[in-house]
Amino acid sequence: MFAYNAKLAFKSLNDRPSLTVLMVAAIAVGLGLFMTMLTLGHQSSKIPIPHISQQIHLVQLDNREVTADDVDNFNDMVDLTYQDTNNLLNLDIAGAEQTLAWNTYGILNVEQQEIQPQRSSVVATNHAFFSMFEVPFLYGKGWESDADQFGQAVIVLSKASNDYLFGGINSVGQQVRLNTQVLTVVGVLDDWFLVRKFYDRSYRQAGPDEAFVPSNFAFNNDLPRNARFDCWSTTNNPRKFSTNYLTELKTSECAWITFWAKLPQDNKQDYQAQLGQYIDTQKSLGRFPRDNQYFLTNINDQLIIINGSGGRQEMLGMISYMFFAVCLINAVSILLAKFMRRTKEVSLRRALGAKKRTILQQHLIEVIFIGVIGGLLGIGFTYLGLQAMLRVNLYASDYRNTVAELMPYHQMDWEMIMAAFSVSVGCTLLVGLYPIWRICNVSPASQLKAQ
Amino acid sequence: MLKMENVSKIYRTNLIETHALRKVDLHIGAGEFVSVTGPSGSGKTTFLNLAGLLETFEEGDFYLDGQNVKGLNDNQLSELRNEKIGFIFQSFNLLPELPLFDNVDVPLRYRGFNAKERKERIEEALEIVGLSSRKQHLPTQLSGGQQQRVAIARAIAGQPKFLLADEPTGNLDSLMAQQVMELLEKINQQGTTIIMVTHDDQLARRAHRNIQIFDGQVSDLAKDQTDVLIKSA
Repeated sequence: MFAYNAKLAFKSLNDRPSLTVLMVAAIAVGLGLFMTMLTLGHQSSKIPIPHISQQIHLVQLDNREVTADDVDNFNDMVDLTYQDTNNLLNLDIAGAEQTLAWNTYGILNVEQQEIQPQRSSVVATNHAFFSMFEVPFLYGKGWESDADQFGQAVIVLSKASNDYLFGGINSVGQQVRLNTQVLTVVGVLDDWFLVRKFYDRSYRQAGPDEAFVPSNFAFNNDLPRNARFDCWSTTNNPRKFSTNYLTELKTSECAWITFWAKLPQDNKQDYQAQLGQYIDTQKSLGRFPRDNQYFLTNINDQLIIINGSGGRQEMLGMISYMFFAVCLINAVSILLAKFMRRTKEVSLRRALGAKKRTILQQHLIEVIFIGVIGGLLGIGFTYLGLQAMLRVNLYASDYRNTVAELMPYHQMDWEMIMAAFSVSVGCTLLVGLYPIWRICNVSPASQLKAQ
Repeated sequence: MLKMENVSKIYRTNLIETHALRKVDLHIGAGEFVSVTGPSGSGKTTFLNLAGLLETFEEGDFYLDGQNVKGLNDNQLSELRNEKIGFIFQSFNLLPELPLFDNVDVPLRYRGFNAKERKERIEEALEIVGLSSRKQHLPTQLSGGQQQRVAIARAIAGQPKFLLADEPTGNLDSLMAQQVMELLEKINQQGTTIIMVTHDDQLARRAHRNIQIFDGQVSDLAKDQTDVLIKSA
C-alpha cells in the first residue's frame, strides 16, 4: 500500500505542475534565506578550541581610579598594564600557564628581490601562547622561554606569510626582515581556523595574524603598539603611546595588554586567591584604589556575552525567520487549494474502501516529497545566500579579510545540511497538517452524486 | 441479505432538523434485484448511502450480510464496504487520469490483493463488460455507455455480494441504458444482490421488487404490486 500511495503522491505532484513548482519554490526560497542566517549564526556561535575553552581565561584587573564606573562584565573592563603583566608573569602559580598578547605591525621582507615587502600584522607574545592555544604548526614550533627573557630575534610566520615570503617551503632557520631587524624563523603555522579571533579580543571572523614575535623583542625594538590605551584621567593623550614614550608607558597605569591564563578547573580558586593577594600587595604600594576586583572570564563565557549583542546578525536572523514564515503560509495556501481540488477523488476512493489512514498516508508522502524537494532546492539557495553574505562581509571588512579567511564562516557543514532537511520536511509537515486533516475528513458520500 | 430495522437518518444544522429517512424497516434477500424509486428529494440517495455504509444513521439497526453495522468505526466500515459492496454511479466517477485497468484496480488495491490476483480479477471484470481490449485506454476515450461499463467492472471486480447503483442509466441514451441494464441483470443472475435507484419506470419494472420512498418513508412493494402502481400512475 505504501508503494501505491507513493505512486499516487508522485502523480499528484505532476498534476498542475505549476502549483507544485510555486509551492516548492516558496519553501526553497524561504528556507534558503532562513538557513543562510542560521548557518552564519551557527558558524559564529562555535567556540574556539572547544575542548579547553573553559580552561582558558582572560585576566583583567581593575586598576582604575575610584570615580570610575562600576563594571559587571569583562567586555567593559580594562586589560592589563605593562607592570601588572610582568608581575603576573613572574608569579609562580602552580598549574597555571600564562601568556600575553598585543598587536603591532611592520614591514616583512626577505632577501629575494622579486618578493615585494609586505606590511604585516604582528602579535607580540610569549612562548606559552603556542602551547596554551594549541596552535597548529606546519614547520618547526614556537620559541623557547629563553627567547622571551632576552627578547631574541625569532619569529613565527603564519602559513599565508610563509607562502608569500618563501613560496610555502619549510622556512625554519631562514631569515626575514621586520622593518630593519633581522629575525630567524623558528616555526610556520598550519591552517588555523580560529572561529573567532579571540586572542586579541577582537572576536572577528578572521584568520591568525601574519607573524608572532617575543614581546620583549618588540619592546626592545620599540615596535608600534596597535592597542587601545585605557589610561583614565592619569595620562593625557594616551594615543601618544602607540609609537612613543615607551618608558613612560611601562610605568603608567594605562591598561592595554591582553593577558591569558590556562587554568585547569582545580586551580582556578588558587589563581583567584593569588590575584587577590597581588592586588592587596599593590594597594600597599598605592595602586588599585578601588575595591578588589578582577575578572577571570573563560572563552565560553566571553562568547556568550559577545554573541548576546548580535546587532546586524540578529536583525537579519529575525527578518529571515519572518520571511520563511510568510513563505510557509503561502505554501500551505497552495497546498490547501491543491488538496481541496481533489475532494471528489478522495470521496470516491473512500467509497471504494480506502481507510482514512490510507488517505492520510498518501497525502503525508506527498507533503514529505514536497519538503524533501524544497529542502534540496533550499540548500542550493542557502549556498547562494552564503556566497552573497560572504561578498557583503568582505565589503564590510573593507577587504581586510580574504575570501579564504571568511569562507569557513560561510559554509554549510553536515549538521547544517541535516538541519535544512529537517526544517524543510518538519515545517512542511507542520503547515501541511491542516490541508491533510481537511482532505482526510472528506466524507465518502459527499462528492459522488452526479454534478 | 440486507436488513434495516427502524433505521432513521436526520440531518441537523444549527437551525433545522431534516428527517431524511424515518423508521425504515426493510429486508432484501440474497440474490434479489431491487429497484428504488420516488420523487426527487424523497430520500433515495440517503437510503443508498446508508445501505452502502457511506453514511451513518442515528436510530435503528442495520444488518449487512448478517453483521450489525451499528457502532462500527470508520476503518471497519471501510473494510466492509470494500469487501461486500460495489458502487455504480450516475456520473460513472472514473478517475480520468488513470487507464481503465488502473480504474478497476482501485478497490482491489485497498482490499490488499497481490498483483497477480488483481490482474486476474481486473481482466475477468473487463471481459464481462466487454472492454478487455481497451484496458489501457483513458476514460475520456470512451463513450458514456462504455464508461459506465468500466464502472460496473470496477464494482464487480472484488466480487461483492451487493451492487448499489444510483441512477446507473441516468446519463445514457436508451440504447446504452438497455445494454447496461442487461449487464446488471446478467450479474444479478450470477447471485449478486442489486439495489438500483432509478427514475425510469421501465427499468424499475425489470427488478424483482420495487421500493418506493416518499418523504423519507419506505413502501416495500412486491413486483405485481409495483406493476399495478406504475400502471395506475
